[in-house]
Amino acid sequence: MALAVARKDLRGELRGRELLPALAQFVVLALIIANFAFDLDLVSGPRLSPGILWLVLVFAGLVAFGRAFATEKESGSLEAMLLTPAGPASIFAGKALASAALLVACEAVLLPSMAVFLGSPISVAVVATVLLATGGMATLGCLFAALAAQTRARELLLPVLALPIWVPFVVVGGRAVQAAMTGQSLAALPLSGQPLVILADFDILFLVVASLAARFVLDD
Amino acid sequence: MTENRRLYVLTAVALGGMLVAAGMIFLYAPQDALQGPVQRIFYLHVSSAIAAYACFALVVAGGVAYLWKGSLRSDRLARAAAAVGLVFTTNAFVMGMIWAKPIWNWDPSKTWDARVTSTAVLWVVYAGYLLVRRFATPGRQAMRLAAVVGIVGFADVPIVHFSVQWWRTLHPGRVIDAPGGPALPPEMLLAFMVTMLAVLLLAGTLVAVRYRIEARRDALEERAVAAQLKLAASPGSR
Amino acid sequence: MADGLIQRFGALVALGPLDLELSKGERLAVLGGNGAGKTTLLRMLATVARPAAGRLEVLGLDAQRERELLRARLGHVGHQVGLYPALTALENLEFFATLHGLGRAESVAALALVGLSSLARRRVEQLSRGQQQRLALGRAVLHRPELLVLDEPDASLDCESRELLGQLFEGRTVVMATHDAQLARQVCDRALLLRTGRDAGDPWSSHMLHPAGMLGGT
Repeated sequence: MALAVARKDLRGELRGRELLPALAQFVVLALIIANFAFDLDLVSGPRLSPGILWLVLVFAGLVAFGRAFATEKESGSLEAMLLTPAGPASIFAGKALASAALLVACEAVLLPSMAVFLGSPISVAVVATVLLATGGMATLGCLFAALAAQTRARELLLPVLALPIWVPFVVVGGRAVQAAMTGQSLAALPLSGQPLVILADFDILFLVVASLAARFVLDD
Repeated sequence: MTENRRLYVLTAVALGGMLVAAGMIFLYAPQDALQGPVQRIFYLHVSSAIAAYACFALVVAGGVAYLWKGSLRSDRLARAAAAVGLVFTTNAFVMGMIWAKPIWNWDPSKTWDARVTSTAVLWVVYAGYLLVRRFATPGRQAMRLAAVVGIVGFADVPIVHFSVQWWRTLHPGRVIDAPGGPALPPEMLLAFMVTMLAVLLLAGTLVAVRYRIEARRDALEERAVAAQLKLAASPGSR
Repeated sequence: MADGLIQRFGALVALGPLDLELSKGERLAVLGGNGAGKTTLLRMLATVARPAAGRLEVLGLDAQRERELLRARLGHVGHQVGLYPALTALENLEFFATLHGLGRAESVAALALVGLSSLARRRVEQLSRGQQQRLALGRAVLHRPELLVLDEPDASLDCESRELLGQLFEGRTVVMATHDAQLARQVCDRALLLRTGRDAGDPWSSHMLHPAGMLGGT
């Protein structure tokens, strides 16, 4: 059922043709701005890349998740979904999946663009880190998007709520990407201290928290 | 009116406590050899931070109790604690910055350690909590959504702390600080304990006062509602 | 069914106290001007919103505790259509059918029922408001509910669609909010007039001296 919700969302977005190109455009423009704002060259490019990556990702995420529940609110379809046996948890899971997919699509544009425009060394480790972080960020972003959509000040509340909760992901993910890009090895850390493991732990933890909270956010 | 009297007594005791603490900080505790007189700010700074976290615990407890049992009083407690907590967090943060300036010269690589970041995040979570309360439909929706914010925030703050600590262990050359040095001389320790108790008492008093205010506000709302209902029930409308 | 129902938003009492009894198979029209509380009442009946006070029992089930069971047996069309504009008519119905655990056949049937089969592949944003409304009705009856809660379904329906309403109401209990007094007379048995959230009586019963001026004429 969650899959059905996800599929419906994705199909809507693909059909609508407004969000994906807009996100892609945003990403490329952000990179161009970064290039000039930071005065990047061969040396500073790779050094600043981790920061730029996460900055762009966070803002793209805010845009994507803001949209996730905007249509639902406009068309009143959230209520229609709640009246089915699907249950708030599945509905939430579906929307989180769809949002995560959108964010991944965004990354598919971002990472190669960074490699090309900024000369960032994108490796498997970088991709894996970003993907893992996306999972957790999507879950939480979706939860707060649903929450903010029900209030009068959606655009204001979503960043205020989402950014603090994304900080751990950016901190750990940022360090991991930085290490990967500068060739630093983190193998000295114990397994439980490995960034990918930590990110996975975060993902699981917040997935549980969000699933429990979804019921209260979506339904009265 | 005994309700009011109790609050007055409580406030008086709290203020008295703060005066004693002030005395201890400035007159009793010795000056720190390394950091100079600025170090005295740390007593209030740490106490404020502890008070801020204690208030947050109340916010979360209230939120959980509300979601579980639908208790309006718990929500009221959460509301009250949130307002007070925000103040103490701001205080702790500002004091931290003032203290850090001469010590670290606001070097970003040293300023954003685990505690500072967690406190900053706590502040934003508080702000988010209060904003959600303001912008959601008043009544059940506001209480419900705010409770969720509080709970998720509660899970988040320790995670932030942990992740920044993790980050710090990889950052070379970081000096782990302990205010006043690795071991506090007994006078300082005593001053600190007294201050902490005084601040906690003050925080508790503020929460109690705030709770009263909210209770009165709720009562006013109930009366407005009852008036509307009575008006509706009068024979003229049928 | 409803006893002492109250709905409030903070200090504003939007509805109530309201008492209401509806028997199975009855069709109730809820009339009243804008802001009278029709939508508020309907949302509570459809379990979309929870009342601030009072007891609500629908189809013999407690509206709060047995909400899941209740929701399976009712269909609701609110003020907004509740459809996805970027998807086609059929896709919309199929989606909701999947959520109900039904298959494609039911969606096709529902589409036919509301007379939109020819527009199955048309995107909802390209449909007229009246067609969207009909599709929303189709969505509401997908799972064959016993109770229909409709908020101004007549808002943009044309004449034939009104007959459709009569068809859909067959064998079901209905609560319908409307501005159209004629339509109400046509398809409903009973009426409830709301004024500032309070029950102002049944304008169709013989001992009401005059209906509220907001009706189009009875």
